[in-house]
Amino acid sequence: MKSTRLAGNRTRNVDLVLLFLLMTIALVGYVDLHSSANVAVTGHDKAHLIRLTVGLVAATAIGFRDYRFLERWAYIIYAGVMLLLLAVLFVGDIRNGSQRWIDLGFFDLQPSELAKLAVIIALARYFHDLGERDRLGFADLWPPALMVAFPCVLILEEPDLGTGLVVLFIALTMMAVQRISWLVIGASGLAAAAAAPIMWFFVMHDYQKARVFAFMSPERHLQGDAWQVSQSMIAIGSGGLTGKGFLKGSQVQGGFVTYHETDFIFAHHAEQWGFMGSLLLLGLYLALAWWSLNIARTARDRFAMLCSVGVGAFVFWHVIINIGMVTGTLPVVGLWLPLVSYGGTATVTVMAAMGLLTSISLRRHVF
Amino acid sequence: MSSEVSFGGALSGASEVAHRTRRLLLVGFVFLVPWIVIVARLWFLQLERGPHYESLASGNFVRESDITPDRGRIFDAKGRVLAENRPSYDIMASPNILFRNKEVPQLLATKLPIDRDKLERLIAASETGAGAEIVVRRDVPRDQVAVVETWKNELPGIYLRISQRRYYPFDSLAAHTIGYVSGISEEEARSWESTGYTGGDQVGRTGLERWFESILRGAPGLERNVVDVRGVEQSAAVANELLGSLRRVEPVPGQELVLTLDADLTQIADDAMARTPSGGLVALDPRDGSILALYSKPGFNLNAWSGRLSNEEKRRIDNDPFKPMLNKVTSSYFPGSTYKVVTAMAGLEEGLVNPKTEVDCSGVFHYGNRDFRCWNRTGHGEVNLSSALAASCDIYFYGLGVELGIDRLARYATEFGFGEMTGVTLPGESAGLVPTKAWHETHSDGGFQFGFAVNTSVGQGDVRTTPLQLALTYAALANGGSLYYPRLVDRIQLQDGTAVYEYPRKARRQLPFKPENIRQVMRGLRAVLDTEEGTAREYRLSYLDAAGKTGTAQVRALDTARLDGAEALFADRDHAWFVAVAPADDPRIVVSVFVEHGGHGASAAAPVAMKVIDRYFREVLGMDEAVTAYVDGSDRTRLHELLHEPEAVAAGAPPKVSGEPGVPMFRSPKEGSGSVPEVRP
Repeated sequence: MKSTRLAGNRTRNVDLVLLFLLMTIALVGYVDLHSSANVAVTGHDKAHLIRLTVGLVAATAIGFRDYRFLERWAYIIYAGVMLLLLAVLFVGDIRNGSQRWIDLGFFDLQPSELAKLAVIIALARYFHDLGERDRLGFADLWPPALMVAFPCVLILEEPDLGTGLVVLFIALTMMAVQRISWLVIGASGLAAAAAAPIMWFFVMHDYQKARVFAFMSPERHLQGDAWQVSQSMIAIGSGGLTGKGFLKGSQVQGGFVTYHETDFIFAHHAEQWGFMGSLLLLGLYLALAWWSLNIARTARDRFAMLCSVGVGAFVFWHVIINIGMVTGTLPVVGLWLPLVSYGGTATVTVMAAMGLLTSISLRRHVF
Repeated sequence: MSSEVSFGGALSGASEVAHRTRRLLLVGFVFLVPWIVIVARLWFLQLERGPHYESLASGNFVRESDITPDRGRIFDAKGRVLAENRPSYDIMASPNILFRNKEVPQLLATKLPIDRDKLERLIAASETGAGAEIVVRRDVPRDQVAVVETWKNELPGIYLRISQRRYYPFDSLAAHTIGYVSGISEEEARSWESTGYTGGDQVGRTGLERWFESILRGAPGLERNVVDVRGVEQSAAVANELLGSLRRVEPVPGQELVLTLDADLTQIADDAMARTPSGGLVALDPRDGSILALYSKPGFNLNAWSGRLSNEEKRRIDNDPFKPMLNKVTSSYFPGSTYKVVTAMAGLEEGLVNPKTEVDCSGVFHYGNRDFRCWNRTGHGEVNLSSALAASCDIYFYGLGVELGIDRLARYATEFGFGEMTGVTLPGESAGLVPTKAWHETHSDGGFQFGFAVNTSVGQGDVRTTPLQLALTYAALANGGSLYYPRLVDRIQLQDGTAVYEYPRKARRQLPFKPENIRQVMRGLRAVLDTEEGTAREYRLSYLDAAGKTGTAQVRALDTARLDGAEALFADRDHAWFVAVAPADDPRIVVSVFVEHGGHGASAAAPVAMKVIDRYFREVLGMDEAVTAYVDGSDRTRLHELLHEPEAVAAGAPPKVSGEPGVPMFRSPKEGSGSVPEVRP
């Protein structure tokens, strides 16, 4: 190809907006993690910094590669991840009552994280192959529906309701940029309504139901799940307008907020920096999601466009569901906050997604 | 835009671009909806409900504990400490730490003696991990403090709390006046909630400790500490960071009392009362009503009552027939002949007698169909006012009583301050009783009978007075008619000694009697000691003219002669009284002695009073040398000067006088006045 000729342009084409958003959010995340309780003991802030750096390098590396290899390998990657998802149900480590991890010795792999990316690539490939057609009907849509449903069921089986939801929301968002017949939309709506009770009685686990109950009547569940959320809400609420300041978040420093380095790190952020700080972080996330839509707009092809939408949706819904849960707006489902929460697979996954976005962005002006 | 398509799925035309843009815009708007919901939620939590969550967060990490203020000390007139505070150690347990160390309660029980109830409570607390800190043992001795310190690491959740305990350096001296303190129960604390007491707080139960509770107590301070989710206290740096100046609210120490009481004189009273099992003694300054000694017998150990009093000891004291917990100087008894001053004054004022009026005492007085007898069966012969008081002739006063009638007598008694509380700053004061016709109508079987006036005229019947009332009444006679409020507290001061209130020297009223009549009564009282027929003549002091009156109050009406000594049951014996004023012409001290069931006033009470007066002048006022010089005739003017220039004497008086030679008058308080904690089993 014309890769040698393009090489000079690529560096000029580096998406500075994306890089800025990425690094700003990562910086905020590092500061939050660094100021979280017990960090001196766990050293998680340093580990996180190393992962972010490695992730950023990897993302840039991916970025300079042509994303189209992913297009070619999409279904293979998808199949591989599905196998891992199956495997985790048999050989996975059980932690906190759910079986999500495969111990690779040096790294604890979470196939459900990879599934998010696999579904994005696979769906993008499918709709790319389908071409620009009007009024997609059932005949066109059952394969992608299966592609989404299969990992969703496996992930819910682990169980990991949050990730399952995110996969579903990513798929729905990607569907939203397709021209789908109203019949299908109506029928899907009805099916979803019908599926809800089935989910409740046959798929959802007791602890997940307990969280929903706790969410609906927090005052009755002050010792269990709701305690977690109420302490998180106290942390957030007590942050006020400007927050309690660096290292002064009593709720987190006193250990009242559980998982304050991972799933509940936003409570720490909001306690420390207040409404202003919360708004800043939320604004950065919205900007990132919108920017990925902008990248989608200028993307060279349908695959790239769909991947960008998928990545944007991935980050965005992760943020919404995570903050929804720590603010007591949604039941607790267990999701991390992209780029901010401490966690190996989480960082790797989100950085890989950002790499994909960089790659797409780099090649936006090719045509 | 190019329409060259090199591979499938690439953009194919302007309409497609427009569609893509529209769709992406739609997605962008869809993103905005949940985002705004989340921002609104944060707005609600952080701004709308911010203060609410802030207080919840504070409740989470702030642990408040009271700081007990220093309870105000109590000093005697010479600045000796009568009540102070010493540090004490309580063993505490915090449930939320026991929760994670469930073996601790059992282990603790093997190291320390713990009540079964308390152990069960600790185990229950370790199961739930909930609730406030528990007091395992209060005021533990040193060795138990050492046990907790030694096993600190094996006993997480068990810690020591330093608090203060009341300490009384003189143990039982002036116990009834000072009073004791004890911890209030949770139940009491609840009913006193508005006053800010919490369970375990020390509160005055009797005496000054109770009367001045609100003054002595001070205002508790507050310490706020930062705790983590397990209740573990965070470092001081963290606490300062989060709480700043709110960390500590300093307690306001209680105010201190400086009494008019003299500890030496109280000890002298105790010595003087050595031979009597039960009674009371009041010594006061007739010039201003300042109480010099307030003594009730038997006493009790303030330290024992303020600490851990064993049940046996408590039962023993509660069942003691001599009622150790009763303050006898403010309790009322039949006054006997000491009351005759009322009858005498009434007779003079009403013009029924004059000093020269003579009455023939034959030993018996017929009234109605009853015979009222004089204590002297053979009669006193011709008596006038002065000799009637001196010899305590009953017949003289019987006649006056009849003529006066009970209500007129009562009016004079009330003028003298009987039948009403003196206003001493002590709880539980009795007003005594001055019977009137109306009173008898409702209280006596068969209503009022004229004979009651006869009994009342000699302090029998239903009259009841307190030793304190008598002292004040005699003081009023001695000082020319000013009936004072008793001054027990000289001043209230701050911890640094700055006076905040000085008790005024205030007369309740001027006795509305002719000065001449007061003089006549006083003449009779002097005759008690310095005439041949005086009932207390054998107890007169060789160097000092004193005035006084004996009283022997029949407790039970006996047809036979008054019983004395071992023949009578203790409770049937007469009460012995003596109220003395000295010096008679320029009075400096009034002593009222009440010996419960002591027999004759002259033999049981008079020597006590005179001994106290003697030692007061010699030892407390430091006139010993002058008295000796007067008695051996070497210098007769020095004593006279001293007696009439009191302030000069007081300044030159030795600060401390010891009792019997070689024996310290008091057990001296521990070095550093009690700062070394006394360990009691």
